Amino acid sequence: MIVSTRWLSKYIDLPETLEELVQTLTFTGIEVEAIQEISALPETVVTARILNSEKIPGTEHLQVCIIDYGKEPLQVVCGAPNCRSGLITAFAQVGSKLPEMEIKKTIIHSVESAGMLCSEKELGISDNHSGIIELPPETPVGISINEIYELPDNILELEITPNRPDLLGYIGIARDLAASLNKRLKLPSINNYPGEEDSSLHLTLILQEPQKCPRYTARIIDGISVKESPLWLKNALIKSGLRPINNIVDITNYVMLETGQPLHAFDYHKLLPINQEDPHPAIIVRRAKAAEEFIALDGNKYLLDEEDLVIADGQRPSALAGIIGGKDTAISNHTTTIVLESANFSPSTIRKSSLRHKISTDSSYRFERHLSPAYLEMVSNRALELIINVAGGRVCNELYDAYPVPQKPLFLAVRPSRFEELIGYKLDASLINNYLQSLGFQYILCGLWQKEPINEYKLLPQAMELDLETSDNQIFFENPQLALYFLVPSYRVDITREADIIEELARLDGFDKIPQKKLIHPIMDWHAHHIKRKIEDYFRQSGFYEMINPSFIDPIKLEYLGEDKAELEKKLIRIVNPQSSNQSAMRTTMLPQLLDNLLYNLNHSERNLKLMEMGKLYWKDGNKNCETLHLTALMTGLNNLDHWKVKNEPIDLYNVKGVIEGLLDQLSITIDETKNVHHPWLVESDNLAYFCNNHLCASFGRLKAKTAERFNIDIITLKQDIWVLDFKVNTLIELTRTNKIEFSPLPKFPAVIRDISFLINFSVPYADIVKSIKLVEPYLIQDVKIFDEYRGKGVPDGWHSISLHIILQDYEKTLTEERVGQVIDSVIKMLENTWQIKMR
Amino acid sequence: MIDDQLKNIAEQAKIDLKECLNQNDILNIRAKYLGKKSLVNSLYSQLRNLPEEERPSFGKKVNELRNELERMIDEKEKELKLQIVNAYDSVQANDLTLPGVYFPPGSLHPLTIIRRKMEDIFISLGFQIAEGPDIEDEYHNFDALNTPEDHPSRNLADTFYLDNGYLLRTQTSTVQVRTMESYPPPIYIISPGRCYRNDKPDPSHSPVFHQVEGLVVDKGISMADLKDTLQFFAKAMFGPEVKSRIRPHFFPFTEPSAEMDISCVSCQGKGCRICKNSGWLELAGAGMVDPSVLEMMGIDDQIYNGYAFGIGIERIAMLKYNIPDMRILYENDVRMLRQFSRELI
Ligand SMILES: [Zn+2]
Repeated sequence: MIVSTRWLSKYIDLPETLEELVQTLTFTGIEVEAIQEISALPETVVTARILNSEKIPGTEHLQVCIIDYGKEPLQVVCGAPNCRSGLITAFAQVGSKLPEMEIKKTIIHSVESAGMLCSEKELGISDNHSGIIELPPETPVGISINEIYELPDNILELEITPNRPDLLGYIGIARDLAASLNKRLKLPSINNYPGEEDSSLHLTLILQEPQKCPRYTARIIDGISVKESPLWLKNALIKSGLRPINNIVDITNYVMLETGQPLHAFDYHKLLPINQEDPHPAIIVRRAKAAEEFIALDGNKYLLDEEDLVIADGQRPSALAGIIGGKDTAISNHTTTIVLESANFSPSTIRKSSLRHKISTDSSYRFERHLSPAYLEMVSNRALELIINVAGGRVCNELYDAYPVPQKPLFLAVRPSRFEELIGYKLDASLINNYLQSLGFQYILCGLWQKEPINEYKLLPQAMELDLETSDNQIFFENPQLALYFLVPSYRVDITREADIIEELARLDGFDKIPQKKLIHPIMDWHAHHIKRKIEDYFRQSGFYEMINPSFIDPIKLEYLGEDKAELEKKLIRIVNPQSSNQSAMRTTMLPQLLDNLLYNLNHSERNLKLMEMGKLYWKDGNKNCETLHLTALMTGLNNLDHWKVKNEPIDLYNVKGVIEGLLDQLSITIDETKNVHHPWLVESDNLAYFCNNHLCASFGRLKAKTAERFNIDIITLKQDIWVLDFKVNTLIELTRTNKIEFSPLPKFPAVIRDISFLINFSVPYADIVKSIKLVEPYLIQDVKIFDEYRGKGVPDGWHSISLHIILQDYEKTLTEERVGQVIDSVIKMLENTWQIKMR
Repeated sequence: MIDDQLKNIAEQAKIDLKECLNQNDILNIRAKYLGKKSLVNSLYSQLRNLPEEERPSFGKKVNELRNELERMIDEKEKELKLQIVNAYDSVQANDLTLPGVYFPPGSLHPLTIIRRKMEDIFISLGFQIAEGPDIEDEYHNFDALNTPEDHPSRNLADTFYLDNGYLLRTQTSTVQVRTMESYPPPIYIISPGRCYRNDKPDPSHSPVFHQVEGLVVDKGISMADLKDTLQFFAKAMFGPEVKSRIRPHFFPFTEPSAEMDISCVSCQGKGCRICKNSGWLELAGAGMVDPSVLEMMGIDDQIYNGYAFGIGIERIAMLKYNIPDMRILYENDVRMLRQFSRELI
C-alpha cells in the first residue's frame, strides 16, 4: 500500500518527524519498505494567469506572454503548445532553483524573458512534459505551487500482512496509528442519502449467489457530468500510485484507498433490462455461463466459466465480480447516470477467478484478503458525497441492498491474567479497554471467561459491577478467570480468538515493554569449543589415534629428554602424597607418556603409528599455577596402510610438515616466521617452529636416537624415524578468535596458469623463491605452487630443478597473452638477477 | 581434361579418407584438400588463366568439388568420433572384486567420544559448558561446597596435595563454585573435566578420572526438574528403553541428595554379573543445591534454588561399550582404539 503522509494526516495528527512516524508504524507491525521524500518547491514558484500571448515572428512555437502573478505583470517567453491567454499555470520567478535548473533572466530571439512557465516535469512533480501546467480557472494567482500540489510530502510504501485487509485503506492505517499513539481518529463526516422518492429511474437487482457474494448494494445517481478530476483528487491518486481517469472512476478509487473497500460504477443507461416485462436496467449477480464471453475495461476478451462470478445486466456480463469492470458498461464522457456498486465478495471466488484469468487489480487484491460486508452503505455514502461535490447530480431512490444473511456480531472475552501469562507482564484493564476502543472494539461487560466466541447479546455472561477506570487492577489477578468482553468491529476479520486480541494489545503497548525474564549470561567459550573439536576431528581424519594419559609424570623422564635440572626445579609442581615416585609430579610435557604409548604399541606389533594427545600441561611460575592446553603427537612408520594400488612410503619430513601446515591452514592461521627450536631431544637439522605474530603456534622435529634409547626404543634397529609434533592449542584458539569467513565475489575473468622450470642452487630456500615471485606483480600473481622437484642426472651437484605453476588473475579485465608474457619475463629476469638461475 | 582432374582429386580423397584412422589424419586431409595450399585452392588459381567465358562454369565445378570434399571429410570425422565414443563406452576388463582405495581414519579415545556425546546432549537441553583449573585451593574444592572441616575426603588418602599448598580437584564442582562467583542466576552449566582421587587403580577406580558435572540455579527449580534432566540424559545416551530411578544418598553439597540408577544395559534389568544381579546400575550422584552453598555464593536461597549432578565419563564409557576394566581405557592400545573409529562422534 502506497501512502502519502499528507493524505494520511487528514485522519490523524501525525508525529512531528518522519522518523517518528516510521518508528511508530514499524512497532505497530506495519513495515515501511520504502520512503520517497518529495521536497517542497521554492516559494518563488507561484500560480499565474497568462493575460496575453503572441507568437514571436520567425519562430515555430515560441510565444511572448504577459502574465499576472499577483504583482506587477511580467513578460516571459514560452514554447509550450498549450500556452494561451487566460490559462492559469505555474510560474517560476527569476532566481527559483528548480530540480534541474536555476531560472535566470534571459533574452530569447531578442525578446526578454523574466522567468519561466513550467510543466510538471520541470517542477519535479511528475513525468508529464506535454505542456505547461493547466490549473482550474478558479485558482487564485500568486499562491505557492506547494499549496496547490500539497508539498512537501512523503510517500511511504507499506507492507500490509495478508491477515490485515483493514489496513489496505488510509483510515485503517490511521486507526492503528491512533491506537498506538493514543490520538483521536478523525473520520470524514458521512451523510445519509435517502434519495428522491419520485425518481423515475429504477434498477432491478437480483442476487443469485449469496455464498459468493454475501452482500450487494447499488445506488443510482443521475445528472452527473463526467470530466477530468479536480487537481486535489488527481494529486491524491497519483501520490498513491494510481492513474487518474475521470472524476467518477477517480472517486471510486479515492474511496477505495480511503476505506479499503473497492467500488465500481456502471453507466446506468448501458445496463440492459431482462426483458420487456421488467424494462428497468438490471443487475444480476450470477455465475458466468460456460464459455461466456466478457470484454473487460482493459480491452481484452475473457472466456468465462461457471466458477466465475459476474455482475451481469439483463443480457451479458458487465463486470467480472470484484476484479474488473466491463467495457460495454464503462463510464464515458457521455455518461449522465451511473450505478454505484458497493459489494462484498468471497475471497476464494475472487482468488480463483483472478488466478484463472491472470488479472490482478487493486480491487481483487483487497477482496482476496476478506473484507467485511458491514460497511458497504457507509462507503457508498462517502462516495455519493464526493460524486455530488465533484460531478454534480442527484441521488435517485434509496439504497438497493441485497444482504440475505447479515453478519452476526462477535463478542470475545480477554483475561488480563492471560495477557500476563502470554506476554510476560501485567497490562491494566483500563489500558486494555483504551487500546481496544481506539481500534474500534466496543466494551460490553466484565464477567467470567468463556472460551467459545459469542454471537448473540443474550448469550453473554452475567456482568460484574466493576468500573474499569477506578477499580483495583489486582482483582483480575486474584481471579484469573475474570475477563473483559468486547464486541469485535466487523472490519477486523482477523480477530476470532482471545489470543488475537492479546496480540493486538501487545503490539499497541509496544514489544519494547516486554520484559527480559531470564538474563542468561554467555558463560561458554563457543569459539574454544569449536576449535578444540575441529582439531580433534582433524587428527582423527588424518589417521591419528588419541591417547589419554594421566596428568602425572616421573621427573626422571624429563631428565631423559635432556631438560635442564635447575630449570625443571623452577617449574615442576610436585605431589605431596603420590602413589609412586614415577607419578610424583604434574606433567610439563606429554612427550614421555606418548613415547611410552609408542613403545607399548610397537611391542604389540603395531609398526605404523600416528598417536596424539590433547591435554593440559601444568607448571608453576613463581607462586602462580599455570595450566595450558597442548597437543603432542608422534608419527612413525609408513604413511599409509597397505594397499595394492598405493605405493606406501615411510613418513618423511614433508608428511609431518603437511600435518602441521594442514591444520594451520584449516584454522586460517597465517605463519609469518619459521625457525629452529633447539630442543635437546630433536635432531638439530630436522626441526622447525611456526610463529604467527611472534606467537609460537606449533613445532616438529625428528627424535634423536639417543633420546629414544632412554625410553627403550631402538630407532636404529627399528629403521623408522620418529617424528614429534607439538601444538600450543591455547595459542591457536586465541589467534583465531576474531577470524571470520567472508564471501568474496567470484572473479569475472579467467585465471591463467603458466609453468616455469629452472635450475637453482640448493642453498636458495623455496619459500624465498615464492615470496620474491609474488612481489614481482602482487596484484596479478595470485599464487605460486611447486609441482616438481628433481635432483640427480643432468643436474649439477649442489643444484636442483624446480618446476612451478604461476597462477595469474586480473580481477578487472581479461589478461592478454601479451601481458602474461611480460609478467613471466619479469619473473624470469628477477630470478636470474637474484639467484643466477638457469632456465630449462 | 579439367573434369578428369576434378574427378581424380575426388577419387584420391576417397582413398585417403578410407585410410584415415584418427583425428590427426582428418586434420591432415583437411589441410591437403581444403587448406590454404590445398589442391582445391590451386584449382582456383588456375581460374585466372582460363578464357573469360569458361571461368563461370569452371568456378562452379570447383565449388561443387569443394562442397563435396567438405561433406566427405565431415562425414568421416563424425564416423571417427562415433567410433571413439563407442570404444569408450564399451566393456573394460576390470576385476570388480579387488578392494577400492580408502584410507581409514584414526580414532578418538572412547573417553573423548563419550565426553562429546554428553556435551551435545546437555547443550541440546540449554546447558552451557564451563571449564576451570585442575589445580585448586581448598576453598573451592571443599569449603565452598559445604564439606566439613573433618570430612574424610579431605584426607591425604583421598586427595592429592601439591607441594605449593594447592590440591588437585576431586570433582569438577569447583567449576560450579567459580561460575556462581562470576555470574548471577539463572545458571545452566555443565563442567566436563579431569578429577583426581587417591584411589589405587583397579577395575573400577583410577587416580585420574573424568567427570561431567551439571549445575542449575534458577527460580522455581525442583527435584522434578533434576529427575527429568537425568532421565533425558540416560535415554539419550543408552536408548529410549532405559528406565531410571533416584534413591536417597548423601553428599555435603546437596540437600536432599540422591543417586541415580538406570536399568542394567546388559541384562535390561533382569539381573546379571555387571549389575551384580540387582538389575540396576549406578549412574550419577545428584541433588538439590544445599541452601548454605547458595548463601555462600551470595545467591538468595528464598528466590533461587537449583540442582547439581555429577556423572563419571569412564563409568558411562564402560557401560556403553561393555568395557570390563577401567584400566583398559588408560592402556592406549591402538587395537582397542581402532574399535571406536566408526563411532558416530
Ligand atoms: Zn544386569
